[in-house]
Amino acid sequence: MKARAIMPNRSAHASFGAMVIAALSAFATFVVSMMTPALAFAMSAQDIAGQVVGADAEASTDAATGGIGAILPDMVEFIPMLIAFIILWIILAKFGWPAFNGMLERRENTIREALQKSEEAQIESERVLAEYQKQLADAKATAAKIVSDARESAEAVKADITAKAQAEAADMIAKAKAAIEAEKRQAITELQASVADTSVAVAARLIGQDLTDDDHRRIIERYVAEAGSFNAN
Amino acid sequence: MPTNRLIEKEKVGTYAAAMFDAANTAGGEQAVLEVRNQIEQVIKLMRSNMDLSTALVNVDYTPEERHQLVSSVFADSNPAFREVMAVMAERGDAQLLPRVFESYGDELAEKLDTIVVDVTTVVPLDGQLRETIKKKAEADLGKKVVLNEKIDKSILGGIIMSAGSKRIDASVLSQLAHARSVLKDRTDGGESQ
Repeated sequence: MKARAIMPNRSAHASFGAMVIAALSAFATFVVSMMTPALAFAMSAQDIAGQVVGADAEASTDAATGGIGAILPDMVEFIPMLIAFIILWIILAKFGWPAFNGMLERRENTIREALQKSEEAQIESERVLAEYQKQLADAKATAAKIVSDARESAEAVKADITAKAQAEAADMIAKAKAAIEAEKRQAITELQASVADTSVAVAARLIGQDLTDDDHRRIIERYVAEAGSFNAN
Repeated sequence: MPTNRLIEKEKVGTYAAAMFDAANTAGGEQAVLEVRNQIEQVIKLMRSNMDLSTALVNVDYTPEERHQLVSSVFADSNPAFREVMAVMAERGDAQLLPRVFESYGDELAEKLDTIVVDVTTVVPLDGQLRETIKKKAEADLGKKVVLNEKIDKSILGGIIMSAGSKRIDASVLSQLAHARSVLKDRTDGGESQ
């Protein structure tokens, strides 16, 4: 992970320390170089005096130092530089290194806290993401259920409306048929009654007009013969 | 006013017996039949004339006034009927006349072994037809029959015979009424009958 990629390690600290040491060395070199002209001047004065009193002796010394003396450090330069280095080392060991170490520790702590916070934030974000995904899934499920329920409800309402409409239509048809049948029967009944009344009226008029007294008496005689007994009543 | 049915029945029987005995004593069978016809006519009159029927039982009139009313209205009637009817009105029993008529018929059948058969026709009966009807009625009823003939053109033809509560309706009017009923009630026009 990216957070782990920036975790501090010892090699990084070592390289950083080397850089610090190099800087300090450069600083010491700079101090020594600043001090060298003074020493060189002092040494030049000594040299002038020495040149005056010991011109002969120089000849013998150059002869002695002509081989190995070329690679050995010049004591005149080496000792001040050594002293300056030691002083610088002591100063740095006393004041610089603790401050530097403290800075490193603070930085390490800061980075560790930042990484910890980053991990916590990551965990929190993962938890929030999981919760969000769960809520999203729940919301999707709820939405799907709502849609399903709405569809079922709509189907039920549709079926109910259809059934009611069919029932009402059937009822209307039945009522219409019943009304038609009743009107038909009423018309037939009225027609029958009219025909019956007319027929009876015509028959009565024909009987009253066409039958003579003798016809009536014959009818009476026939009816008496065909009539039932008094005891039958 | 007593409403006990036994008392009323006894009253009705007493009035009918008094009428019958008085008429039979005065004029025999002829008078008895005459009284019977007059009772029947008065019943019809009372049914058609509410003033008369109301006046005969009106308690606002004194019994003597009701008696006098009957004597005046039915002055031409047979005395047997008139006097008994006057007594009935005097006692407030004029409304019992239809039941007296029925009981009178029972008296007739019991005491004279005779039943009056009311015969309604469109034309007057001749001798042969009258004899035919009489024989049939006597055969059915088992008693001597006296025909009470009536002419009613409204029956159109045929004959209606009634003896007390027994009745034979062989009139053309009833035949046509039956035919009308069949034609109206049957959906097949009466052809299945």
